[in-house]
Amino acid sequence: MSFFYNIESTWLSLKHHAFRSLLAMLGVVLGVAAVVGMLAVSEGARVESIERIQRQGVDNIILHSEEPQANQTGGETIYFYGITREDIDHFRTVFDNVKKVVPIVELRKTIYANGKPTDVILMGAAPEFLALSRSKNADPRGRWISESDGALASQVCSVGVDAARQLFGLEDPLGKTVSVYGATFEVVGLIENPLKSKLAGKYDINNLVYVNYETLLSIFNRDALNVEADYVYVQVENLAYLKNTADRVRTYLNETHELPDYTISVPYELLLAEQATQRIFSVVMGSIAAISLLVGGIGIMNIMLANIYERTKEIGTLRALGAQRRTILTQFLFEAVTLTGLGGILGVLIGFLIAVLIKYTAGMPTIVTPGSVIVALAVSILTGIIFGTNPAWKAANLSPIEALRR
Amino acid sequence: MSLIQLQGISRVYGSGPAAVHALRPTDLSVEEGTFVAIFGASGSGKSTMLNMLGLLDEPTSGNYLLEGRNVAKLSDADRSDIRCRKIGIIFQSFNLFSHFSILENVCMPMRFAGVPRHEMHERAAELLDRVGLGSRLAHSPSQLSGGQCQRVAIARALANRPAVLLADEPTGNLDEKTGDEIIGIFHELVAEGHTVVMVTHNAEYEKEVQRIIELHDGNVVRQ
Ligand SMILES: Nc1ncnc2c1ncn2[C@@H]1O[C@H](COP(=O)(O)OP(=O)(O)O)[C@@H](O)[C@H]1O
Ligand SMILES: [Mg+2]
Repeated sequence: MSFFYNIESTWLSLKHHAFRSLLAMLGVVLGVAAVVGMLAVSEGARVESIERIQRQGVDNIILHSEEPQANQTGGETIYFYGITREDIDHFRTVFDNVKKVVPIVELRKTIYANGKPTDVILMGAAPEFLALSRSKNADPRGRWISESDGALASQVCSVGVDAARQLFGLEDPLGKTVSVYGATFEVVGLIENPLKSKLAGKYDINNLVYVNYETLLSIFNRDALNVEADYVYVQVENLAYLKNTADRVRTYLNETHELPDYTISVPYELLLAEQATQRIFSVVMGSIAAISLLVGGIGIMNIMLANIYERTKEIGTLRALGAQRRTILTQFLFEAVTLTGLGGILGVLIGFLIAVLIKYTAGMPTIVTPGSVIVALAVSILTGIIFGTNPAWKAANLSPIEALRR
Repeated sequence: MSLIQLQGISRVYGSGPAAVHALRPTDLSVEEGTFVAIFGASGSGKSTMLNMLGLLDEPTSGNYLLEGRNVAKLSDADRSDIRCRKIGIIFQSFNLFSHFSILENVCMPMRFAGVPRHEMHERAAELLDRVGLGSRLAHSPSQLSGGQCQRVAIARALANRPAVLLADEPTGNLDEKTGDEIIGIFHELVAEGHTVVMVTHNAEYEKEVQRIIELHDGNVVRQ
């Protein structure tokens, strides 16, 4: 029997029972639509959270200095706390699997530009921060802060593109100065972070002013700073040993710091945790999908049995004219698979719509992946095969004479 | 050699005291190119015998030689193949496929026989032309009268050039005049060398046929 005949006969049969066929498909349509829609939401959430984590750099261990709470200090006010230069030197010199240690210190003082106070924040950063944060020089005439700026305590700064706009508006920032807490810094460069990443997940990198870390520490003393570093990025050589290195950092800090005046965040561990959560989510989604498709499959089985009951005489006639059992089997299986396949396609389209709707009404990111579409379609077709086989088998095994008697 | 030879063919429905002997052991032969009518009262076993001949049913006992080959105990696949190529069946209520055109209806047995598409359509059109429906190939059965439907069914039965045409009360659903037309077509076919076995209980047709088989309570009482 030709494939063409199967298509034609299926088409005629579905057309003949258009409404009933549509009802039968409904279960599969809704099941697939729900699966595609929900997978789009979870994929959107996954990609967003992974991107957010990756923007902090997966190969980093990020240390934050934290002011100890009064209940942890026994009521004493601590003026000086956090990660120290000694810690930083230790990581640099004693630890292996450490590529760079990049300290950053925040000067919590108002920056003045053109004599006016601004909201822009000044950071003392080690020169490696540029490469580490995957930022780049935004103006070829300028430069990023250098090692020698630190050695010479040069009072120069490099500004993020957004910070430059806040400080100087449309004017050329290069050569301008900013003053903060009695010190003046000349702007020597402009930088941009194309990923629009955040420093320690908190400050927009494009909206900061950067002075060499060493310069900042040598200019400002303890009345301006109560930490030696607010953030320290420890970048590892080999991602495979990151967990080990992070554990050693934890142990070291635990042993050397009396008070819990720091926290550690490891984006890579967050990423792994996120992926684990995602896997659980996928399993839950998969189960929902399985149930809804099961319901859809039962609908299909139902309609196929009704079809066969109704068309018993037709089946008998086909057999009397010489149709083989397998011809009948293929024809009904083909019908079932067509029903679920069409249901699957319709479901995918509706799922797309759901994804778009959620994106624009709920503002959640949604991503329909080719994988989810392929899986949804494959499962629909499989549903047709699984639930169509029994009715088709029944049809094929009707005795011709019994079938004709109807 | 006879086209059809039944040797001790019988059919019993059910078993034990409730068993119905629809056809008692029968010996019978049909020669090629004859027009045979099976007569008998309702329930006498006419359809049972025709179903045996058409391989739609399996005998309880006996042999059935079709063109010398014993087809009584073949597999379902082989029986289907013989139905497809050797037997043309015509029903009382036509049994056309209502959602296909009459051309497609006539094509159906040729599809099962694997006839190439082009050849199939050509032959189907030819056959419909010969039963006087050449101008209505695309029509659906519901657009035709009963007599025309039965003509389509005859064309369909002839599609694979079968060895024998079997018809179970082919005029049962038709008025007298239309029924006579159908019998006329059978006459033409027999004249061309076809073999036709027809079940009827219309005594009028006794004089039309070359051979009469009469059944009574599952027994052949005249042949
Ligand atoms: N499937 C069946 N089960 C039981 N009895 C049957 C079956 N088919 C036919 N019979 C019986 O077999 C006998 C012959 O039936 P049938 O060949 O249909 O008669 P006819 O065609 O001459 O009217 C009848 O008594 C009928 O009731
Ligand atoms: Mg009968």
